[in-house]
Amino acid sequence: MIPYILFQITAVPIIASVFIFLTRPRLGEKAGWIVGITLLYTTALLCMVGIRVYQGTIIYEEYPLAPAVNFNLLADGLSIPVALIMNLCCVVLAFYSIHYVGHRIEVIYGEVDKETWLMYYTRFFFLFPFFSTGFMGIAFSTNLIAMYFFMELLTIIPLYFIMAQFGYSDFIERYKVALMCLFWGIAGATLFLIGILLAYTQIDSFEISELRTLSGNPVITWIILCMLLGLFSKLAIFPLHVWMPWVHAEHPTCIAGLLAVYANIAAYVMVRVLILPLYNDFKVFGIPIMVLALVTMVYGSLLAMAQNDVKRFAACSTISQISYSVLGLSALTIWSIEGGLFFFLSHIMGKAILFSTAGILVYVTGIRDMREMGGLASRMPITATLWIMGAMMLSGLPPFSTFAAEWIMFTGIFMFGAHGPSIALIVAILGVSAVGLTIAYTFWSAKRIFFGPLKPNLSNDEIRDPPLTMCVPLLLLAVVSIILGLYPKPIMDLFHFVIGGVI
Amino acid sequence: MIAEVAWLCFLFPFAGALLSPVLARIHPKLRDYGAVFFSFLAALSSVMFIPYLFHPSKLPIESAFVWLTTPIELRVGVLIDPLSIVMANVVAVISFIIMVYSLGYMKGDPSLTRWWMWMNLFIGSMLLLVLSNNLLFLFVGWKMVGLCSYGLIGFYYRDEKKYWIGGPSPTKYCTPSHAGLKALVVTSAGDVLMLGGILIMYSYSGTLNILELYETSSIWIPEMAKSSGMILLASILLLAGPIGKSAQFPLHEWLPEAMAGPGPVSALIHAATMVKSGVYLVARFIPIFFYGYWVAGCSEASYFFILTAWVGAITAFLAATQGMVSLELKKALAFSTVSQIGYMMLALGVSGLTAPSLMGGFTSGMFHLVNHALFKACLFLCAGSVIHTAHSIYMNDMGSIRKYMPFTWIFMFIAALSLMGVPPLPGFWSKDAILVSCLEAHNYPLFLLALITVVVTSFYTLRFIGMVFHGSESKNVEKLKQKGTHLGEAHRTMVGACGVLAITIIVLGIFGLPLEHLLGEGFGYTMEKLHLPVEHATEHSMPHLLVPLLSVISVVIGIVPAYLLYISRKIDPEGMLEKYLTLKVLHKFFWNRWYIDRFYYMFFVGGMTKLFTSVPKYIENPLDKLFHKIIPSIPGRLYDGGRLILASKYGREEVEGAPEEEPVVGISIGLALLLVLFCIALYLIAMFIRGWLISP
Repeated sequence: MIPYILFQITAVPIIASVFIFLTRPRLGEKAGWIVGITLLYTTALLCMVGIRVYQGTIIYEEYPLAPAVNFNLLADGLSIPVALIMNLCCVVLAFYSIHYVGHRIEVIYGEVDKETWLMYYTRFFFLFPFFSTGFMGIAFSTNLIAMYFFMELLTIIPLYFIMAQFGYSDFIERYKVALMCLFWGIAGATLFLIGILLAYTQIDSFEISELRTLSGNPVITWIILCMLLGLFSKLAIFPLHVWMPWVHAEHPTCIAGLLAVYANIAAYVMVRVLILPLYNDFKVFGIPIMVLALVTMVYGSLLAMAQNDVKRFAACSTISQISYSVLGLSALTIWSIEGGLFFFLSHIMGKAILFSTAGILVYVTGIRDMREMGGLASRMPITATLWIMGAMMLSGLPPFSTFAAEWIMFTGIFMFGAHGPSIALIVAILGVSAVGLTIAYTFWSAKRIFFGPLKPNLSNDEIRDPPLTMCVPLLLLAVVSIILGLYPKPIMDLFHFVIGGVI
Repeated sequence: MIAEVAWLCFLFPFAGALLSPVLARIHPKLRDYGAVFFSFLAALSSVMFIPYLFHPSKLPIESAFVWLTTPIELRVGVLIDPLSIVMANVVAVISFIIMVYSLGYMKGDPSLTRWWMWMNLFIGSMLLLVLSNNLLFLFVGWKMVGLCSYGLIGFYYRDEKKYWIGGPSPTKYCTPSHAGLKALVVTSAGDVLMLGGILIMYSYSGTLNILELYETSSIWIPEMAKSSGMILLASILLLAGPIGKSAQFPLHEWLPEAMAGPGPVSALIHAATMVKSGVYLVARFIPIFFYGYWVAGCSEASYFFILTAWVGAITAFLAATQGMVSLELKKALAFSTVSQIGYMMLALGVSGLTAPSLMGGFTSGMFHLVNHALFKACLFLCAGSVIHTAHSIYMNDMGSIRKYMPFTWIFMFIAALSLMGVPPLPGFWSKDAILVSCLEAHNYPLFLLALITVVVTSFYTLRFIGMVFHGSESKNVEKLKQKGTHLGEAHRTMVGACGVLAITIIVLGIFGLPLEHLLGEGFGYTMEKLHLPVEHATEHSMPHLLVPLLSVISVVIGIVPAYLLYISRKIDPEGMLEKYLTLKVLHKFFWNRWYIDRFYYMFFVGGMTKLFTSVPKYIENPLDKLFHKIIPSIPGRLYDGGRLILASKYGREEVEGAPEEEPVVGISIGLALLLVLFCIALYLIAMFIRGWLISP
């Protein structure tokens, strides 16, 4: 076994980032490939860890920092699938960005000299690996402060700076939205921190594994509430979702896909920090969260339907989709939790594809308004296929993994509904019906963008499928989703090692 | 061995779908014949099950592998029993014939690779649906056929005017991409509810395996019945899927527009196979609910049958009336399909209304499914050929086509006779059996409605035959002749496919009764094996004589006016409408599809549009303003307020105003929110440090 493997997975992207920073005049356009290859390396390491974990080994590495605070890393059945899929999204979007970012710089900064162009280009790829580090850190941390640190790291470094410098809209608007993203991120993380510190006052420890000793403590409700509020603002639960359409829509699309991961990772944190250690105390929050999730599901769908901006459309869809996982988690049955987590992973793959395809559309046509699109399938068949695949993934259609995830998740929700209070059954039926709304808005958007006669403004020769470096990574991600959809056993077994042992 | 064949049966078409683009790279002909070959292999595999119908004691055969162990244990595989054998053969054999027809129909289309991929994907998915041993993979097939239907209805996605359905003006048109979306959304509405029903069932039974569901029903159904209303709820949810997929009232409105797809799609998906999946699923659920009602004594289970029967009967009548006035040939056939599926649902519904009607209802429903698949596929294929030749979808643009397409006329006429229920064609046997089942269930309102529908069916059938093949040539045909357009039989593969189907209809008619008996034996054996109280219907000498007689009389009642109006043309239909106001009102009512479609567009589409346009206006924008303008502006307002107070105190008239709007959205949210949050955080950090210092 490779030494310090989890540390490597977390730190190597930052090393690559530092390397790019130090050598950027010489690296030039190779920066993107270096990030891609680095992330491929960490993905390979994750696969190795995944195999070991699947064989029953738990990998634990200790990196003490101060009393009560450490950067210990744990790879178990819960963290490894989450980390692997998140890293895979990073890999795919890194390769997608190679071509896309160059275009973005030209759009934002116009015809600049080569040196300035390279400065921006390498700056993007210097910032990009922080995503991977942040995601891996959250997935593997065993310490709450470390987890909080990685949450803040994600918000402050890659999200803020990339939005501010590579986002859409004009200069002022970009910085406005970047600040909005920063403040919402910090506000959410701070609420989470308050919960952590409250917990510390009771247990004298920041270790996640120690949280279970809080069970029965009268302060527990406040701790859960603070953490939940923090996580809800990240998960964009109604009414704390207002940042999502702005932030997702104005980010460069390669990052918008990762923003879905950034938002949805809170579902993992919810399971790791709240549900597993505090299962019995969390039960009281179950039904209210289910209702809130249902409201957000429907609300997000309606909001998505109201959009004409292709990027804002994808953003609003994220609001709705994240709530599916939350609905699953809050039903608190073994099926719904495992299914909810699987849905989170399936959704981020689908959203990476959908957002990136939206990016392709803007990249090729220069248009964001769906009303000005139409008939593009004849000119961009691969892009149309990718969009339909994204639509299928969001709608939970087979053979993509969202289908299997949705089925497992709703099994749990109906288990709770059928044998629990009537309101849970009503929420379950309304929840499963809300899938119909997703089908309606995703396939409606496909019709608006790709079908019908080709709009006259799109009938020039430049309207065609983008370079392969943008399409192929997305197609490969779709293949991964299909494989997981056809055979979800490995991922479900991994989850069950941990969740089955607790619930 | 036969289990492996069952696996191959649905895997072959999937392989065909995946290989089509590869074969297209080698040679287009290889792609075309390759695709047909894979569907042939599927048909061959399914035919190999037929001997087992003669030996039902060897059934059921199941083959499965472990797909998932945690958190749900599921063994995925195939189930071969009389029901799946019948369905697999209907699907695979008709699919193969239609694939052969496609060789001619789609010749020269620039998107043929996409065509073959969708078609084979559909065949594979449909076979997966009918051969699956568990409800989950049945649902996978179910969703995938829906997706294929969407892709194939919208096959001509560029929406050129020649592919529009609907009209003529002022009646609205529908583009293929709109029709595809409509089909997907309406059927999905049923699908998601059905998933809910399946999951409720699973939450009590703990299994999704079909045989296990049957075998353990004595345990979980009484358990489920303890929760009042649960079986009724499950019944409604479970029926939503079949109602949507099989285009039954109230989710039937998608099918007429689905005719925007190419002819073979209408024949295969929207007549012969996919729309039957709802009937198949209801048949699958019958043993469960029959046990619940007649053995376990759970009265709620009876609603499953009552709902099915009434939905079927209403749909049969409602759609048939719309078929009477339709002007588009394919749409007339679509209404007919909806109506005929209604008959099948009616039969399956009455199978549980009384204990002895189980076998009669079940067998007649499934027998009608087989017959209908054959004659409706034949009708649609012939219609495709006629539309191909007449270059129009409207029947009043045709007329006297018989002399140009004699073979197509013969084949279509045979199929039409079977649709009407003229003896000794198969449609007669199965429709007769359905009517008998209604009588056996002692449900006379249902029987009467079914009988009236026979009248309407024979009227609209002879109407479309008359309008297309008889009478005088339309202006359109004359114009085509003047232009020198070839008016004649279609491509030989198309004529051949129609011919094979027509001959099969005749053969099936001749052997109709033995076949019905064979199916009854097979299904009966399965039911007995499940310990259901199978009572073979007692000999009702009276109804058995009465029903065929009534059936034939009904056919004649329908035929006579249709003959006078559309064949001999002794009466002018337009004149009749002008003369009788009631007829005119009825015509308008039926032409507007009982105003149901219009209501749906107004209520659901219009309502939803209003709803989603209101959401940003009344909720999102105010919320956005609250979080990104009002809250962040609080510090500024406080500051202004303070200045105003100071100003009033010191007697200044005016205060130099701060900017009205916050310049940077979000900055103040940091001031307002983070300040408070960080104060709390700092307090807790202080406590943490204190605790750290004090702790030993």
